[in-house]
Amino acid sequence: MIIGPKDGFKLAGISIVCFCAVYVCTFMLNYYLDVLPLGDTIPEQFSALYKAQLATATFTAAITGGVLGLIAVVMLVFYIKLYIDGHAKQLGIIKALGQTRGRIAAEFCVFGLSVFVGCLLGFGGGWASMRVIYDGLTIEGIGEIAMTFHVELLFALVFAPTAVTALISVTYAYFALARPVSELLRGKCGKEKIEREGKNKDRSFLAEMCLKTLTAKKSLAFFVAFSCFCFSAMVQMGLSMENLTTATMGYMILAIGIVLAVVTMFMATTSLVRGNIKNISVMKAFGYSLRECAVSVLGGYAPFALIGFGAGSAYQYGLLQLMINVIFADVGSVPEYSFNVPVFFITLAAFVLSYAAVTLYYVLKINRITVKEVMTEN
Amino acid sequence: MIKAENLVKSYGGTEALRGLSLEIADGEFAVILGASGSGKSTLLSVLSGLEKADGGTIECNGVRLDTLGDRELTLFRKKEVGFIFQQYYLLPHLSVEKNVRLGADLSGNKNYREIIAAVGLEDKLDRKPSALSGGEQQRVAIARALAKNPRILFLDEPTGALDEKTGREVLDYIAGLHKARGFTMIMVTHNLNIADMAETVVKMNSGKIVGIYKNTERKSAYEIGW
Ligand SMILES: Nc1ncnc2c1ncn2[C@@H]1O[C@H](COP(=O)(O)OP(=O)(O)OP(=O)(O)O)[C@@H](O)[C@H]1O
Ligand SMILES: [Mg+2]
Repeated sequence: MIIGPKDGFKLAGISIVCFCAVYVCTFMLNYYLDVLPLGDTIPEQFSALYKAQLATATFTAAITGGVLGLIAVVMLVFYIKLYIDGHAKQLGIIKALGQTRGRIAAEFCVFGLSVFVGCLLGFGGGWASMRVIYDGLTIEGIGEIAMTFHVELLFALVFAPTAVTALISVTYAYFALARPVSELLRGKCGKEKIEREGKNKDRSFLAEMCLKTLTAKKSLAFFVAFSCFCFSAMVQMGLSMENLTTATMGYMILAIGIVLAVVTMFMATTSLVRGNIKNISVMKAFGYSLRECAVSVLGGYAPFALIGFGAGSAYQYGLLQLMINVIFADVGSVPEYSFNVPVFFITLAAFVLSYAAVTLYYVLKINRITVKEVMTEN
Repeated sequence: MIKAENLVKSYGGTEALRGLSLEIADGEFAVILGASGSGKSTLLSVLSGLEKADGGTIECNGVRLDTLGDRELTLFRKKEVGFIFQQYYLLPHLSVEKNVRLGADLSGNKNYREIIAAVGLEDKLDRKPSALSGGEQQRVAIARALAKNPRILFLDEPTGALDEKTGREVLDYIAGLHKARGFTMIMVTHNLNIADMAETVVKMNSGKIVGIYKNTERKSAYEIGW
């Protein structure tokens, strides 16, 4: 056994993303399944509201489940790649000793564990908050909606995602392990290409470091952008949709947005700093300042943070417009909604402050890296 | 001149340096010998301002290192020192040229290509470290350290990861550059033969200096037959 269950549980970030996705999907889909059969008993004058509530439930579940599920898969693949790169030597030795690629890859199924834990907790959490959600989504003409346990949801939201991610992990690992043993043993990751630098030959070391760190870890740019996207979209949505749903829903969206943003940002930046510990300590030894070290490692990602934030603002505006025009279209009282400028600026200010705080946190972390530690480790 | 007095440094319960005093003149080539765990790397990191000692004084080219804060120490390292490590520590995602610029940019050195040529790597400028042999990687590290024009060069077992022949070549490069440029050089090694190349040999044992002697006659890497 190369990879223990411990490695599987370590991916707390994925667990949290899964938790958020399943948490929302659980009560939304449960609501859908409970309310759907009531269709015939609804008095004519409330049927538009009934349809709107059903649409809200499916819409919310589809958006959160779809987007977060995708993110969880991307994060998973990213972690597995990181794991394989980080353990290239051990894996190479095992392969050299004659273990087949399939057997090694099969062990990667433990990475599904983090998904299982997140989904299971999300399912439980969804049930725990279900009463509140049901009360917020009441439909006039029917009394209190009873909560029924749907076993198929347990399968769809907990066991199926676990099985699928385990399968993805194994498949991905199988192909990633196709590299020849000699390459794994040298700890070399990916293809080596000698590049012609052409007119960029004169780029300074710091500029080059910034750029190459970014291009070496492109997927992290995606996570940074996603984190800022979540923060921007969900905080603005949570604060400006009070007319559209209950206050609880708004706060929930707000909270989920912040959690997702923090988790993905933390994951991206931590793996960035961890992956560059040796580089940073050499730079520090040679006399580069903390600021120069931090900027050269983290700086390249700043534009992606801004892009994510901008896209998030546009996205939440589009989504809310869509909700109003599609879902509430049949309902008599269409709520007013326009782009909420004050909320935008409040969110932007919070964003800039949080981004600065994150950077500062990592500067302090870099400060603690001692050169001697790296120097004496062989 | 580097002058250290009564240096003390411990990690948790381990006393790595136990009241050590040492003087090294400008332009000197000193070798530090000693068994594993005797405190050689610790001495090097304290002398070079990578770490602060718990006690004692260090004066380096007129600056009292033990009185400096983190920021000033960083500035001191930027201006004065270069490092070569046993494990090279090249930046794996950057080309040979940019690795050398890590050092060169710190002192605004525009002629770093000359140094790359001096270590014989001018035709491998665009290679990544993983596409180089161990000896070549160490030569990049030498070029990187020298490109910043340090006044003092610290080397921690620079040939430790190399085979005999390559190690000898690398040593010869270093010795040649030392002769041509006249910086101070402090090298930690396990290899007794290398000591014959140095002017001063410092022997350490459990955090103390147990002997210092001067070589009247210095040998080249080839003469020591190593
Ligand atoms: N960062 C550290 N944390 C804890 N203990 C340390 C640290 N660095 C060194 N030591 C301890 O201090 C003592 C001296 O270590 P040092 O690395 O200076 O020895 P060395 O002479 O360089 O050995 P080697 O020849 O094996 O490199 C050792 O007992 C070591 O375990
Ligand atoms: Mg040592």
